[in-house]
Amino acid sequence: MNLEEVVELIRGALGDLAKEITVRKGYVEVVVNPGDVVTAATKLKELGFDHVKSVTAVDYPKESRIRVTYHVSSYLRDDLARVIVGLSVDLSRENPVMDSLVGVWRSSEFQEREVYEFFGVVFKGHPDLRPLLLIPELAEKRVLRKDFIVREESIYEGVPHRYQ
Amino acid sequence: MGSRLGGTGVEEPVDRVYVGNINVTARRARELLLGKLKLGDVIDWATTFSLWPVHLLTSCCGAEFAATWSPRFDAEQYGALPWVAPRQTNLIIIEGTVTRKMACALRITYEQMPHPKFVIAMGACALDGGLFYNSYNIVRPWEVVPVDIYIPGCPPPPEAVARAIIELRRKIREKKLASRWLVEGWRHDREPVKPVDDVCKWWRP
Ligand code: SF4
Repeated sequence: MNLEEVVELIRGALGDLAKEITVRKGYVEVVVNPGDVVTAATKLKELGFDHVKSVTAVDYPKESRIRVTYHVSSYLRDDLARVIVGLSVDLSRENPVMDSLVGVWRSSEFQEREVYEFFGVVFKGHPDLRPLLLIPELAEKRVLRKDFIVREESIYEGVPHRYQ
Repeated sequence: MGSRLGGTGVEEPVDRVYVGNINVTARRARELLLGKLKLGDVIDWATTFSLWPVHLLTSCCGAEFAATWSPRFDAEQYGALPWVAPRQTNLIIIEGTVTRKMACALRITYEQMPHPKFVIAMGACALDGGLFYNSYNIVRPWEVVPVDIYIPGCPPPPEAVARAIIELRRKIREKKLASRWLVEGWRHDREPVKPVDDVCKWWRP
């Protein structure tokens, strides 16, 4: 099965749920509404995408949104194992809340905890939503968001004026 | 110290220890342990030959730490043996980056070890952050435990780790660290360290 057929398969399974499907080399990105994410995930799982490779988030401060992406793929079906599907949700930056997908893919549990501590995204229905790698005080600062400033590299003393 | 003419015609001191001469070795050991030395010197001597580091693997320097005790470099010849239980060891080698969560484990490990105990900080990360100097999630080990020897490098080669153990042995024997610590209950050559941050959340009311 080549990439186009996989995309057709996903499009057929998700129907109207998919707001936007982007295809790049070996990678299919599906954007859904935050309310539909559990339904869409269940449908992808029924299709044969049986595990989550990673859960990550991107912060867009200018557009005031956070995009959470689940990279899913398949172990059991050879034809689906060649593609990675990104299931993405756009959340508001002020109050990022979404439904947890632990019920669908068990392997996303620890990775949702990481997204929680680094970006402050709250996953409703997560069985154990605590910071994983950071201490709680640091997790409150949401350190991987773009507005968290770390000390500059040692070559510069501060940011040069023209970059400010 | 007497001397005699050996079979080769070269004059040799009689009481030098030769490998395999069991009588001379036994007599020298008896003199060393019971005769001329004070008990404190025996304690220092014994401590230098039983520096057991606890295997506190915090980061990638642990690979070099493991190589130090592998057959090629064989740091066990210095009497050091990596051990798992902190209550039976007297040396911590901090193997690289210490994150904030690991700082608590480091301090607990240090508190559990019996006196006299020593700390070696290994790698650029343990000196001053190294690669992660501007990270929000690391602590400097010298803010958590008192460090005796620093090993620079990223990662330090196994020879450097072995060298640090030898250096620590020299320091213990020259300054009589172990025996003075046991007798006086205090180490005078450095300040005790109270952690700068509340690493384990124990200070909260
Ligand atoms: S000094 Fe280098 S090798 Fe050692 S922990 Fe730091 S980054 Fe890793």
